Amino acid sequence: MKDLKHLIYFEDLLQDANNALVQQAQKEGLKCIGYMCENAPEPLLNLPGVFSSRLRAPRTGSIDVGTYYLTSFLCEYSRAILERALEGGYNYLDAVITPDGCTMLNRCVENMEVLQAMGKDKPGFFFDYMEIPMKADYNGLDLYVLQCKNHILKPLAENYGIDTSDAAIRKAVAEHNKLCELIRAIGDFRKLDQPTITGYEYNVITLATYVAPKHLLIDKLEETLEELKNRKPDSEPWFKARVLVVGSEVDDTDFIKVVEDSGAFVCADRYCYGSLPGRDPIYLTDDEDALTQICRAYMNRSECPRMMDTASMDGRRSYVDEMAKEYKADGIIYQQMKFCDPWAYEKMMGSTILRDEYGWPVLAVDRPYTIGTSGQMRTRVQAFMESIDIKKIHGEG
Amino acid sequence: MRFIGKAILYLFLICTGLFLVTFPIYFFNIDMKLTSMIEPLLLKHYDRIDRDQHL
Amino acid sequence: MAVKKFKTMVNPKPIKGDKKYGELYKPGGKVRKRREWRGVGDTLYDYWRWLGILLTLGKFVAVPRNVKAMFRYRWMANYLAVPMMVDRFTQGLRGEYLRMAHEQQDLIIIDVAKLLGNIFRGDRRIGNDEEFSKINVLVDENEMTAVMMGFPNLKSTSRETPSTYVSVLLNQHAAEHYIDVAQEYGLAGDVCPMPEAEAGVSIDDDAPILGACAVQCNTTCDGSLLGNGVISRRLEKEDGIPVFQLPAPLRHKEDDVQDYAAEEIRRAIKFIEEHTGHKWDWDYYFECARRVNYATKCRNEWLDMNKTDYPQIFGGNLALYTETNYMAICGKVPEFERCDRRLMKLAEKAYKKQKMAAPEYRHRAIVWGVQSHFYMDFLVWLLNCWGIVPLTDMLSCINTEMIAETDTPENREQAYYDMAMLTEEMIMRNRTHGGYKVLLDDLFEFVEQYNADMIILWEHITCKALDGMHGLFEDKARERGIPLIWVDHQLFDPRVISRQGVRDQVNQYMRTVMQEEPLDPTLEILDDDNSW
Repeated sequence: MKDLKHLIYFEDLLQDANNALVQQAQKEGLKCIGYMCENAPEPLLNLPGVFSSRLRAPRTGSIDVGTYYLTSFLCEYSRAILERALEGGYNYLDAVITPDGCTMLNRCVENMEVLQAMGKDKPGFFFDYMEIPMKADYNGLDLYVLQCKNHILKPLAENYGIDTSDAAIRKAVAEHNKLCELIRAIGDFRKLDQPTITGYEYNVITLATYVAPKHLLIDKLEETLEELKNRKPDSEPWFKARVLVVGSEVDDTDFIKVVEDSGAFVCADRYCYGSLPGRDPIYLTDDEDALTQICRAYMNRSECPRMMDTASMDGRRSYVDEMAKEYKADGIIYQQMKFCDPWAYEKMMGSTILRDEYGWPVLAVDRPYTIGTSGQMRTRVQAFMESIDIKKIHGEG
Repeated sequence: MRFIGKAILYLFLICTGLFLVTFPIYFFNIDMKLTSMIEPLLLKHYDRIDRDQHL
Repeated sequence: MAVKKFKTMVNPKPIKGDKKYGELYKPGGKVRKRREWRGVGDTLYDYWRWLGILLTLGKFVAVPRNVKAMFRYRWMANYLAVPMMVDRFTQGLRGEYLRMAHEQQDLIIIDVAKLLGNIFRGDRRIGNDEEFSKINVLVDENEMTAVMMGFPNLKSTSRETPSTYVSVLLNQHAAEHYIDVAQEYGLAGDVCPMPEAEAGVSIDDDAPILGACAVQCNTTCDGSLLGNGVISRRLEKEDGIPVFQLPAPLRHKEDDVQDYAAEEIRRAIKFIEEHTGHKWDWDYYFECARRVNYATKCRNEWLDMNKTDYPQIFGGNLALYTETNYMAICGKVPEFERCDRRLMKLAEKAYKKQKMAAPEYRHRAIVWGVQSHFYMDFLVWLLNCWGIVPLTDMLSCINTEMIAETDTPENREQAYYDMAMLTEEMIMRNRTHGGYKVLLDDLFEFVEQYNADMIILWEHITCKALDGMHGLFEDKARERGIPLIWVDHQLFDPRVISRQGVRDQVNQYMRTVMQEEPLDPTLEILDDDNSW
């Protein structure tokens, strides 16, 4: 297929946490809020006057200092982020807000705070932590709302004078939805039998929406959507099978690239930093305050393994099944970043249940934070492609 | 009185006998030495039990 | 900054009996050559207590269904090692210290024997007493049982306590089989082996099946939370036992999570009432609350005593008992209150006489982090081998506040918050969650309070909450001039780091950094890899 016009532009945004659009927005006077977990309601971090930057550590090299503080048993993501923070890579941030989503991310941010890794020269700078529910129910919702009030809205208003009114929140949601709808529409081209976008391209575009101010991306996304409508697919499919990737944090585009270079097409992305369900729009009604509705949406759609009630646990697996069907997947890859406790368990449960009860071919892998051109991963995905092929042949026979 | 005296004597003899038998078991750790020989047999037995192993 | 150093205290009274404890070990053996000679009086006392333990075990074995269970459940083989566990924990102890250890250990043995008896009575595979099964509410091993304080006729039954927790105390290799089973099913090898082993028991079809319902908790860590998901799946979908998941807030020191926590307690109680038909009994709750307060008062006093030159209930005597009494018992068993009183008497008596538990006290240490479960008697070893007094450990630094104990309308409301507080601040999670202050800053406050000159920092290598503070612990200890000894281990799995591997870390530090010779050189290197 012909290259996407803005692909290099989007790729460039991923080369540095403090990318060109972050710098542009800060020049406009906006404050930048860093966060690391999908459980932080994004629209609240994008109220008028602020924008969010989901922390990544692109082009990670040595993580020795991060490993000294966190040991080699914490996931490489948390170590790389801490390393980057200590190197001064996040000095552009005006605050860090983190939910206690998992222990490792929490410890990573706590180390930043104790070591005063950033914010020393910014009078309004703050670190804040949030408790978030582990069950999707009325009590969890009350907690979520209170925590967002106390640990997002209040410090933003007090430290930076941000308008946190219902009207301001609704405006942020409208902008959020505009972006989500664009990403969704772009993602729908993956459902085609002859998809006009690759998993890698989609991954790059989606990732950019997490790390750059949203309002500065809209025009490029709209152009890309138009371009995709007329993009001609290759005459022959370039992949052997379509796979849904499920699992923990993936902000390394090389991972999707390695999977696709091994003969797969990543037709759907159910992982932290992916679009399912991270780019679901939040449709508000007028009969309830916006904050409660946002929290409910985040709580009910959470695919995070920390949700411990039986309905959420079952829901995680049925959601994967639904997405696999919707995006016409031939198989599922459960991936887990090494040392991630929540996904270590969910990978075991999900991969077994999706294979044994839902009948999907499943590959379960663990991986480092940055994968480069891993031969091991390539071999495993190639073997998986072959096994899907064999199953198809047997099925046809 | 004689009956009580005899009872005390028998009790004393029983206790002394029990002590003479059990104290060496205690002191030389014979109880643990014996049970440590049983454990491998039990483990073999567990390996033979059919189990419905699954998630 | 100069390194802090405690002046060595020499025991004016010689220790009677054996002094070279390493000589009792049989190289490569499962058990020891012989029991310890502690002088006539203490040996006879220990012997008498040993007879008592045999009586407890004898009574247990006399029930046919318990024997049947012995041949059904792999983990039951570990109970062959009960007397040896007591020997390990009482090594080198004399006088009041020996008596305190037996008071606790023997009671714990009786309590676990009762728990096992109850489990097998209700177990569908063994006793299958359906009516009895209905009065059991399953709880996690690592769960505060506060929500059961108002149900006098129900039993809070933890299947994981006897199958994994106690088993590993008895036999260091007990969990290995279950860890391997879980990994065969695809679980990563880098998660905490405790929930991993518990999940392995469930996968291996080796968990007894009983109970009207179950209450699971998010306990200590992400691993425990997720491990519960493995267990609840089988419970709910296969055994038909409904499960309530009780999420205790992680940021438990914050005011804005307490309403949520209290509401979850209310819901857990309602769930138990619905599934058992039993009603919450406030009289019983406040009776238990009074016992919880008494245990707290005693523990506070013991810890205060440990701040002086003459600590009394410390090391192994403090750690295991606190875990049992605080979390599993939680005021529900009157015998533990009586035990608290006896312990208090013994401690006060020894304190008045300014007694010491070893020939020398060379260092006063705070033991922090999550201790190695397969080597819980390491604290005894520290004292006997190097004269390091483990004044308190992280898992014993728990709630110090009193809860409402009189029945008033206000206190009934307060009670939900008290139960929530106990649950949020249960052992381990009160330090591993709640922000860095409770883990990092509090440690150095304890160092000051206890006049400690050393930190023994257990690094349970797959405990992410602790690992995540590794560098900051080091930085702070260096700043304050406190010798900090890292002791790495893998909690339930001695194949990763053996007991000798644990000891070596202390030995090397003491010899190279502290330039000291051991108090008992025979304990420095022990060939106990195959030992129970």
